[in-house]
Amino acid sequence: MEKSRDHAIVRSLVEMADNLVDNFDVVDLLTGLTDRCVRVLGVSAAGVMLAQESAELRLVASSSETMQVVELFELQADEGPCLEAFRTGERVSHENLRSGSGRWPRFSVIALEAGFKSVFALPLRLRERTIGALNLFSIEEDPMDERDVMVARGFADLATISVLQHGAAAEAQRVSEQLTHALTSRIVIEQAKGVVSERARIDMTQAFDRLRSFARSHHLRLTDVAQSAIDGTLDPSVWVPTSPAPD
Amino acid sequence: MSADRLNRITARLESEGGEVGKPARLCRVAKEIIRVDGAGVMLMSGAVPQGSLCSSNNVSNLLEELQYTLGEGPCVDAYQQDRVVLEPDLANPVTPRWFAFTPRALEAGVGSVFGFPLRSGTARLGALNLYMDRPGSLSDDQHADATLMADVITDQVLNGQADAVQGMAAGDLELSSNFQFVVHNAAGMVSVQLGVSVTDALIRLRARAFSDNRLVREVAEDVVARRLSFL
Repeated sequence: MEKSRDHAIVRSLVEMADNLVDNFDVVDLLTGLTDRCVRVLGVSAAGVMLAQESAELRLVASSSETMQVVELFELQADEGPCLEAFRTGERVSHENLRSGSGRWPRFSVIALEAGFKSVFALPLRLRERTIGALNLFSIEEDPMDERDVMVARGFADLATISVLQHGAAAEAQRVSEQLTHALTSRIVIEQAKGVVSERARIDMTQAFDRLRSFARSHHLRLTDVAQSAIDGTLDPSVWVPTSPAPD
Repeated sequence: MSADRLNRITARLESEGGEVGKPARLCRVAKEIIRVDGAGVMLMSGAVPQGSLCSSNNVSNLLEELQYTLGEGPCVDAYQQDRVVLEPDLANPVTPRWFAFTPRALEAGVGSVFGFPLRSGTARLGALNLYMDRPGSLSDDQHADATLMADVITDQVLNGQADAVQGMAAGDLELSSNFQFVVHNAAGMVSVQLGVSVTDALIRLRARAFSDNRLVREVAEDVVARRLSFL
């Protein structure tokens, strides 16, 4: 029994680590995590809440889609073990939910109605950064044993690193695309300056002024005017002088 | 250990006070930490070189200009193939390559060249360009330092850009980098002179640079100054 559970744990960790390397979907990864918690740790339900930019905890993945369980999580934006774990950065456990009292009066009512007797929450945390929480529910009253807690910690850490890595990579991609876009726009303008300069036999500064005046007076974007200069569709008035130079 | 190595690099960058991410400083520190004769940063996008962020000396700068002109070289390969490119003996390579770049680099006094891609996640920005004036491989330490330095430079560039005004390149980046705008000015002019697309005009400018054994920037400057016409 021990061996097969250990095997399941190792396999879970390897599968999750594999996801770190390939292109992966955060929600898929976290849903997989909640399923593993149920299978390997023998809890009844598991869910992951993350705090995104708004810093409010939101349910991102859950082992069960039943309304009751989902509701239990949604409540936790305001009160409950997840919120506590998230705020304190420490684990939270309570084996004996008492209806309507204790730390989480509203939450415990709903939890007990759903048939859960004990709850456990771990922060999703990497050093000083806590990004959410992993919440486990059980219909049993027994507290989690330390070995199970360690395994849950392992899963939680892997999930945290994945989410942070993915976030950082997505941000890097976004910024680098921004840079490429800015560069491309600028290049189009520089090329257009050359086109106008040659057609009108003026220097680059004057060519830029012509493009900019045209854009302004026609309420067009400079990059669009520049693009049309390159495409050959720009109004020829741009390179024909508007008034003859005074003698 | 990797953390010590990174700390050493960070400490060196911060030791002079002022802005850590200033491109000139990044290049100079790269050269000193990695202990090569020159370091530079090529910026690339859309599969081709777009320009240079900084170079620690003239030879480094020349190596970047050559790669920009010829579209081949260690940094181009490093960026396009997303891997570290090592050429410890440019005069006697195990696998001959870069037939236009190599003789010109040798002439400039370069013995070995290395390209380390700049990347973060799936984002690819260009490559760190390193050279030594004699043949030789990078030691394991140098290799590790170069890899970390590439990461640090990438982070600095991305952080700088993240603060930029939407739609524009970050101020520092624009000020320090050479994005070869003169080449684009010339391409616009040549496209009119020859009645071809700007893309074709760029090719013609590069072909002219190659046949005259000059940098494309130099040919472009002549075109813009009207010393050279393609009519």
